[in-house]
Amino acid sequence: MNNFLRTKSSYRVLLFLLLSIFSQWITAEPIEQDSERVHDLLNEVDDLWRGKSSYAITTMQVKTEHYTRSMKMEGWSKGKEQTLFKVVEPLREKGTVTLKSGNHIYTYLPKTDRTIKLTSGMMMGSWMGSHLTNDDLVKEARLEEDYDASISFEGERDGQNIIEFSLIPRLDAAVVWGKLVLIVLADSHIPLVEYYYDEDMLLARTISFSDIKMIGDRERPAVLRVVPADKPDEFTEFTYLHLEFDLELNDRLFSLSSLKRR
Amino acid sequence: MKVLQLASRNVIRSSHRTMVTTLAMAFACAMMIVFSSLMEGFIVGSERNIVSMNTGDIQIHQFGYRDDPDIYKQIEQSSELVVAIRQAGLMASERLFAYGLMASDNSSSGVQLRGIDLDFESTVTQINQHIQTGDWLDTADPHGVVIGKKLARLLDVSIGSELVFVGQTADGYMANDSFHIRGVLKSVSAEIDNSGVIMSNTMLQDLISLPDGAHEITIIRSDRNTDLDAAVQTINALVGDDLEVLNWQQLMPVISQFLETAQVQSLIMLLFTYIAVASVVLNAMLMSVFERIHEFGIMKAVGVRPWQLIRIIYAETFIQTLLASILGLLLGVSITWYFVRYGLDLSSLSEGISFAGLALDPVWYAAWSFESLLSPILFLFVMTTVAVIYPAIKAAVIRPVDAIHHH
Repeated sequence: MNNFLRTKSSYRVLLFLLLSIFSQWITAEPIEQDSERVHDLLNEVDDLWRGKSSYAITTMQVKTEHYTRSMKMEGWSKGKEQTLFKVVEPLREKGTVTLKSGNHIYTYLPKTDRTIKLTSGMMMGSWMGSHLTNDDLVKEARLEEDYDASISFEGERDGQNIIEFSLIPRLDAAVVWGKLVLIVLADSHIPLVEYYYDEDMLLARTISFSDIKMIGDRERPAVLRVVPADKPDEFTEFTYLHLEFDLELNDRLFSLSSLKRR
Repeated sequence: MKVLQLASRNVIRSSHRTMVTTLAMAFACAMMIVFSSLMEGFIVGSERNIVSMNTGDIQIHQFGYRDDPDIYKQIEQSSELVVAIRQAGLMASERLFAYGLMASDNSSSGVQLRGIDLDFESTVTQINQHIQTGDWLDTADPHGVVIGKKLARLLDVSIGSELVFVGQTADGYMANDSFHIRGVLKSVSAEIDNSGVIMSNTMLQDLISLPDGAHEITIIRSDRNTDLDAAVQTINALVGDDLEVLNWQQLMPVISQFLETAQVQSLIMLLFTYIAVASVVLNAMLMSVFERIHEFGIMKAVGVRPWQLIRIIYAETFIQTLLASILGLLLGVSITWYFVRYGLDLSSLSEGISFAGLALDPVWYAAWSFESLLSPILFLFVMTTVAVIYPAIKAAVIRPVDAIHHH
């Protein structure tokens, strides 16, 4: 009897040891794979609208409690750090250029024929009256640098096969968000929705992607809609009318001296 | 009659002693006048910087505007309201605010645009007379703006320099225009000094596409001696419950408390100065009486009554005090006049102190007030009267034989 008990408990110990080793092996391996997969997937999402270089024509519609406006603009990008937007319509703002070069944002204003570098105090201000801030423009391409990404859900949800990423800001990252949640379709990796949580982990805004169609060489969502969580009736909607990738763009296009000539 | 004659003869006879005593009192009196004028200047100057440069007596806002200055939180029908307030016998002016970026050739900074009613702002504040360099706004020059002194330094600009504003219009477009500097203000408040750009409200309405309304109505009593609370009630009756009506003490609670404390502090400081002065006067009077105990003994021996002796001593004291007051007043007034006109320049010690939104000018000006001239003189008379009681009684009651042998 006594002997039997001892044997049973030693079995237990053995089982526990085996299990713990096994479970370590189980978890360690996928984490390694996971981070590489996350990296690749996020890059794929990033490249949807960007590529090595891009040229786009978009419209922006803004609806707030106080105004509704729309404008049309042309945009160029090269790499992750250089972006240029030029307003085409309305006439009132035609020729206004926003240049993002690294961490800096410059605005060229045709009315006063001046180029102004936005100060850090202006970063949280609205970009062109939209629900995006200037800071969003600077930070948008740095998800990988500023956040630790992991897959928090994979499988079927609401009848769709999806992958859900959770992005937690790194301790040293200068970001305003507490967490980002990005949901993409499992097979095509097309983004569906992105949730932005503030530092108190409350939902601050939602970016939803829709109107998936062939643009350029593959299927992409043509419409991006930004909805602030505290004002659900307001939104900013970007619609891609035209998108081209991997063009030959000269670096001079993104220089300050070119702003006036555009 | 005889008493006065004797007293004045005594005063003139010992001219050396009279001079020393009188000059000591005169100097003390002058110092007190200068000191209280400087304290008065500090309090009046601070209050003026707040009330007559910026807040006025009373302000009206939309509820919540002061915490979150949103351009959409306007006062509806503000122009009708302003007219009604003026009809109620108060001065009122509308203001409009907007925020954005102002860029000069070398630098840029976040600014607060202050759109003021050029016709009426001068009825509620004196900011138009508070220009350090350049000129005040002019309707003929709508793009000419007046800016705060620290902002001018930050943007590295001077009169005539061009500035470009970028912000947002009320209908969601880019607000953008260029301006030039007409004037730079003296120190007003931390907010205006660091970020204030003043222009006409019509120019600002145009810039931010806000056709009407105001964010702030500033009100001042026509007569500053009338009751502030009564004025607040008048305004409340006109405005109703939809808008926030606050007096300047409520708008600037920290500063109003600070000024109240400053008043008490200055009283305490004055008290100490007075005590120091009193000991000087007391000492001088004691000496001048005790020195003459021998003389008083002889006077008593020839039949002067104790009461007459006291009167003589008091008469002497009053003659000297009167002389000292006149001298002290002359000296004090001339020094004060200098400080009222040119101020006490403390800029080498510190470059303008700002405290809880109140900007203190590095040049400390004195201010005239009836009290600061009169109270030192009054105090001097009281002081000497008290100071002479003891030696006078001592002289009056002393036995002639003892006094004559007194040394």
